Amino acid sequence: MRTTRGMKLIALAASAGLAFGAAACSKPPAETPGTGQSAGTYKACMVTDTGGIDDRSFNASSWAGMEAAKAANSNIATSYTASTAMSDYDPNLANSVTKGCNYIQSVGGLMGDATKKVAGANPNTQFSIVDADNLGLKNVFPIQFETQQAAFLAGYLAAGFSKTGKVGTYGGLPIGPVTIFMDGFADGVAHFNKVKGKNVQVLGWDKATQKGLFTNDFVKQEAGKQQSDTLVAQGADVILPVAGGAGLGSAAAAKAGNYSIIWVDADGYETTPYKDVMLSTVIKNSKDGVKEALSKAAGQKGTLLTGGFLGTLANNGVSLAPYHDFDSKVDPALKSEIEALKADIISGKIKVTSAAQPK
Amino acid sequence: MTSAVITPELALPASFWTRERKTGAVLVALGLVASVWFTLASPSSPATFYLGTSTQSGANFEIDGKIGCLVFGLIALAAGAILLATGKHYGLLVSISLAAFVLSALIWQVSTVHGSVPLGSLSTITMEASLPLIFGALAGVMCERSGVVNVAIEGQLLTGAFFAALFGTIAGSYWAALGAAAIGGALISLILAWLAIRFLVDQVVIGIVLNTFALGLTGFFYEQVMRTDTEAYNNPGGLPHWTIPGLSKIPIVGPAIFSGTLLTYVALALVVVLTIALFRTRWGLRTRAVGEHPAAADTVGIKVLGLRYVNVLVAGLIAGFGGAYFSMVTATSFTKNITGGLGFIALAAMIFGRWNPVGAFLAAVFFGFAKALSSLLQALQSPIPSEFLAMLPYIATIFAVAGLVGRVRAPAADGKPYVKG
Repeated sequence: MRTTRGMKLIALAASAGLAFGAAACSKPPAETPGTGQSAGTYKACMVTDTGGIDDRSFNASSWAGMEAAKAANSNIATSYTASTAMSDYDPNLANSVTKGCNYIQSVGGLMGDATKKVAGANPNTQFSIVDADNLGLKNVFPIQFETQQAAFLAGYLAAGFSKTGKVGTYGGLPIGPVTIFMDGFADGVAHFNKVKGKNVQVLGWDKATQKGLFTNDFVKQEAGKQQSDTLVAQGADVILPVAGGAGLGSAAAAKAGNYSIIWVDADGYETTPYKDVMLSTVIKNSKDGVKEALSKAAGQKGTLLTGGFLGTLANNGVSLAPYHDFDSKVDPALKSEIEALKADIISGKIKVTSAAQPK
Repeated sequence: MTSAVITPELALPASFWTRERKTGAVLVALGLVASVWFTLASPSSPATFYLGTSTQSGANFEIDGKIGCLVFGLIALAAGAILLATGKHYGLLVSISLAAFVLSALIWQVSTVHGSVPLGSLSTITMEASLPLIFGALAGVMCERSGVVNVAIEGQLLTGAFFAALFGTIAGSYWAALGAAAIGGALISLILAWLAIRFLVDQVVIGIVLNTFALGLTGFFYEQVMRTDTEAYNNPGGLPHWTIPGLSKIPIVGPAIFSGTLLTYVALALVVVLTIALFRTRWGLRTRAVGEHPAAADTVGIKVLGLRYVNVLVAGLIAGFGGAYFSMVTATSFTKNITGGLGFIALAAMIFGRWNPVGAFLAAVFFGFAKALSSLLQALQSPIPSEFLAMLPYIATIFAVAGLVGRVRAPAADGKPYVKG
């Protein structure tokens, strides 16, 4: 019967698709050869969130932290598992335990619930999570950031750099690790207005009502471009996309649209191909946080880590990236004001707060 | 044999509450909401509308919040009432009433936040958001008019996006990228046609499987090939932007239609070409015959299977070409699952458009507008929760497909494999 043979072919195509999909997820990236399991005895495994390992954002920089720890300590062997859906978090974490990983890195506050569940069930395995607290568990090492401090500097920079008197931002989802950038950014602009007696407007986020513009996605570049197009039509000429890979759509269109971008997480000048539009980046140094956590954990194998990592302007856990190509375009006076602001925040003279900051 | 004659007394009395009248009643209710609630809630401050793409300068006009809400609310109410009373001019009245309702709501929201609306930019974003849907829906029309269900639009778009990025980068030319994109879509179509026509497998099942197949395969090669060297394999660059001088200065719609990448112009041309081809040419007549009654078409000498193969392949070329949108218009690189389910919205647009190229185009634009509007209202910090605004395009689609179109009829032989009997 032809139909039967057809159904066989269909089943073949379906399983081939799924197999390729699975193969793509579970393999370590090709550019890290020598990640053989035999190389190290301390197995460190990372589970990405849905943004994927190469989101040019916090997954990428967390992975860079894993690799940096491995480079410093040859006992460490690293590998990662990519999640393509939120429903992957739980099984991916559980599989990492089964694989015998000594250290398991979760990336992102959205993985909090899954991490809590799996870590709770395996109290002797060291877990660590970026952008969440310790979830009430002894074996979870939290890596958190006072991101609003660096975003404050970015807001001040954007307000000072804008020619139209309007700056814009949009997020991926209205969740703490995203809105913390937007809060700091809005406060930075407000501070600029207060100091200079100007009225630069922030489009796309209202700190008081915690309402704003979102793509509801961290991957779709067309959604990102749409949001920045809307903001630019309202007059914004500096955009802060806090939407992971979806923000690339805005960066790709920035040159033609005549606006500049402030990137987030990892320095956009180095991680994206859109160097000529990157005014700066609000860096969240997940790399150092993860590196520190993993190095410590590998050094004291068998005992659980205590405390946590809190990135601030003071310890360079968060920072404002260099201006790179924009160095000559940013007014030197503005630059020195930002340096002074940074010092004031570190000394505590200026307090920057956000509803989403680490408690 | 005597033919049954239905005497007037025996015929069922035509019910007063026809579908038209029910819709009319709903529209009257909407009109009441707009003219009473929106008007009361809206402040008496102006909503500013700019004709160009920016709210910084250019021609503009202001509408007072209360007056605007009331006027458009009453228009919506009147159109609904006429439909309720007469039950005629369904399409026209529904369009007028809904458009007036949306305008009333927009004025309410915009005047509440003292915002301004750049109409030129709104239409540009609408057009850009509709592009992949236009290509996808047209591909669906091509297939289904000849009797093959195309649920694989998503897979065709995705493969097109992937091929555009990969081969465009390798060849270093966007013409190569566009050609490769079309071929990519056609490859998925080839499998669809082969399994559906040769092996008579359920076409919906094939479509779903092909989407999985395309997602897995492109994801695999993305991880294993593209990621290893982005510069060499995943850097196609953007398509150049072409602006037609003069025409692009037309207020409101000019920048949307006469300024854009090649895809904008091809999409518009395809709608026209496909409409003429389907309804005015020999090929079109044959295609529709094969889609409605393949056995009858066969008896008059039309090669049913051959025609289906050709149409499904051409549909793949169209969808694949449109896939380049994702990796070369709104972005300049490919990422995993870059289409994010828009292929299914394109499928809905095709149904909403009643398997007609112009209808599909309008449905796609409708969805694109809902997206642009949702983005605008979020940016203006409208008091409506942003989660709800984000749902707007999809809710609009659900209402459109489930509610407004009523009973739409697919081509009679859609999804039925043809076996010579």
